[in-house]
Amino acid sequence: MTAAAPLALRRRSALAWPLLAAAAVCAGPALAAAQPQPGGSITFGVTTEPVCFNPQRSTQQNSFIVIRNFVDSLIAKGAGGRFLPWLATSWTISPDGKVYDLKLRPDVTFHDGEKLDAAAVKFNLDFVKDLKNANAASELVRSLAQVDAVGPHEVRLTLSQPDSTFLESLSSIRLGILSPKALQSGDQLCSGGPALAGTGPFLFESYTRGQSVALVRNKDYAWAPGYAAHTGPAYLDRATIRFLPEYSVRAGALSSGQVDVIEGVQPTDAALFKDQPGFQFITGPSGAQTAFTLNINYTIPPATDVRVRQALRDGADIGALVKSVYLGTVRPAWSNIGPENPFYDKTLEGTWGNDPAKANKLLDEAGWTGRDAEGFRTKDGQRLTIEVGYPQPYVRDNRDVLIQGVQAQLRKKLGFDLKLRITTGGEWAQQLAKGTWTIYPNTYLPADAARELDANIGRNGFISAVADKADQPLFDLIEKAQRATDIEAKREFTAAAQKRAVEQAFIVPLFAANYQLAAKDTIRGLSFETQLDSPSNLYDVWVAQP
Amino acid sequence: MIIHPVARRILARLATSLVVVWGSITAAFLALHALPGRIEDILAGDLIYPGLREAIIAEWGLDRSLFAQYVDFVGRIAAGDFGLSYVLRQPVAQIVGSQIWPTVHLASAAGVLALILAGVAATLTAGRGRLARGLAAAVELTCASAPVFWIGILLLMLFSFTLRWFPVSGAQSWQALVLPAVALALPTAGLLAQVLREAMERALEQPFVVTVRARGLGEGLIRLRHVLRHAALPAVTLGGWLIGGLLGGAVITEKVFGRPGLGTVTLNAVLSHDVPVVLAVVLLAAFIHVAASTLLDIVYVVIDPRLRQQ
Repeated sequence: MTAAAPLALRRRSALAWPLLAAAAVCAGPALAAAQPQPGGSITFGVTTEPVCFNPQRSTQQNSFIVIRNFVDSLIAKGAGGRFLPWLATSWTISPDGKVYDLKLRPDVTFHDGEKLDAAAVKFNLDFVKDLKNANAASELVRSLAQVDAVGPHEVRLTLSQPDSTFLESLSSIRLGILSPKALQSGDQLCSGGPALAGTGPFLFESYTRGQSVALVRNKDYAWAPGYAAHTGPAYLDRATIRFLPEYSVRAGALSSGQVDVIEGVQPTDAALFKDQPGFQFITGPSGAQTAFTLNINYTIPPATDVRVRQALRDGADIGALVKSVYLGTVRPAWSNIGPENPFYDKTLEGTWGNDPAKANKLLDEAGWTGRDAEGFRTKDGQRLTIEVGYPQPYVRDNRDVLIQGVQAQLRKKLGFDLKLRITTGGEWAQQLAKGTWTIYPNTYLPADAARELDANIGRNGFISAVADKADQPLFDLIEKAQRATDIEAKREFTAAAQKRAVEQAFIVPLFAANYQLAAKDTIRGLSFETQLDSPSNLYDVWVAQP
Repeated sequence: MIIHPVARRILARLATSLVVVWGSITAAFLALHALPGRIEDILAGDLIYPGLREAIIAEWGLDRSLFAQYVDFVGRIAAGDFGLSYVLRQPVAQIVGSQIWPTVHLASAAGVLALILAGVAATLTAGRGRLARGLAAAVELTCASAPVFWIGILLLMLFSFTLRWFPVSGAQSWQALVLPAVALALPTAGLLAQVLREAMERALEQPFVVTVRARGLGEGLIRLRHVLRHAALPAVTLGGWLIGGLLGGAVITEKVFGRPGLGTVTLNAVLSHDVPVVLAVVLLAAFIHVAASTLLDIVYVVIDPRLRQQ
């Protein structure tokens, strides 16, 4: 224990990377003016109504914007990727990277009156880990072998192997701590309400399906995360989250003053609020979730030929397409890891893309020299074609339009037939299970970079069904990154994995998604949460008197 | 025992309705089994987690013969048990039951509004000068062919965002019902008014109108008391079809206005591939259609003396 402490301290300070661009994101110039005032209430118009409000079950990125208001995590992740105290005040990691000792705050109570102690944390982690309980978050605790309550407020977590992604997992909302009493109730807690008892700064007062969620201040709250701007209870008395799925309706509701804050602003609506009197417009970082990326199944011809993949990667001017579809509100991506992620490999920038001449040459070399009646390249009578199967539930903010743009350019410039087909979730599940998908476009939920690589292009990734035919060197790099106990080693392996994936054109990153917030200028303290990569909860938000 | 001919007609109509209901349940069952992929994956929706497949196989008895599954399915639906939504982790009947009322409010308000608008427009313009009829026809055609979605956005822009007379969304007050009901009513009203006016114009040329006129009745009374009643029959025929239109339109209206209701539930269920909920909504829509058309047929028998004599 004592031997472990200095090492962990060293590691924690090593984790305090220089602040990246992500840290520069703040609530705009209006913030500096006045002192925060408690009281008041706001209405927040959001795009997505959560399918399930239980953080341990939800897999919807947009659900966490709502859930974070009533659920806390053991560890907080601050700007630049530093890990900070939250429900756990401190932690140490053994030299072999397998034993985590956490010290909990002694004064935390759940919304249902239960006390947070070591037993409650053990109950939560065991509950998530038990596959019988069918929690989506169980994938985050795969390496967790045993949880022991070694004292009333001391928890020891023993891993089966070193896992460099584990602190990130503990900071994830998906391992948010819920009242054991609530978990034991047998209710799946998906429909929210007071039964879903967390420890967060707001209580979940009520849920009206199809309409809104009502939150009320937790006046006992004294355990704000290390990155918060203040301590003690939240400023707002109440908050209403209103579900407004239509872009134009959300914008109109804000411009007419019927809601105070909206999330998800269409590029064409941004001008309504950006630099307009009475409003503010803020763009979030793109660090925690992956970039929107075309993942190529390189075990199925013609994508088995690296020249075909590279031609697909370089044939289109993706930067120009992204600019024309998103009007400069998002950035083109160079890797599937987000540009503000501390493990993003910056050296990839400008190394690929938009070189149709080279792409044509590669295809000629690969033998795709014939042309059919429609002008597509052929080889031995076969047309050069690969299908992008895009599951309908994930099609959003013009991403299909962007792919159509790539499709048109590849056809015109290369004679490459990139097909786009909107599929169903069930069909995708089947293709995934058999490894028969050809190209899968996605962004992945916020997680540690090494875990993201593993879940997307690693051994546990989309190609897992045909992993024996896949790229073992890439898998090895990703596995080493996950097991690295040293931050520099981890950086090296994640960078090498990104480089290999892009150079071999296993992936074609398209753009780095981000969140946009627009609000009345009287709403202060709006920010983004690093771990979620989305708007923070409303804890630091307050209303200035006009 | 001799059954009254009217009663016999009604009984026969009810019997056919039952056959249609049974047919729709069967169609739903066959459609489910005809979908590509394993049934348990289809029923699970987008949130697959360990253990779920086994739970679904047990609950739906998917390891039994197709016929046994079918009998079980029909029996459960007949008992009002629509199973469990694996995506929302709630009984489907509870989800649909809690969301049906906002939709019923919206659809009935829109239905009544459409009837009033169509009645007023037709009564005022039928058989009038060319300009009035042309103008009314143009407005009706615009309303009937404009998408509910677009009308809704326009109404919101004018009355909510600019004039701020009505709130943008929700179902907490009568004010919040006004714009969605108008948006949903306009296309229906446009269509109904066209049919109604044509029928009124035909009725106005009937000899009985000349007779009533000869009795010295005023034009307004003639139209309201005599002509409208005759002209209403074709409009009633359209009623069953229009109820379907209102339900379908409600899906879109609820999304635009951010209202709770079956539409929102259906849309979310489709998007998250929550097949048990989609199945329930499809069956519910079929039942409502059958119930409405059965009811209208019965009303027909009652209000049209010619049908009683056959």
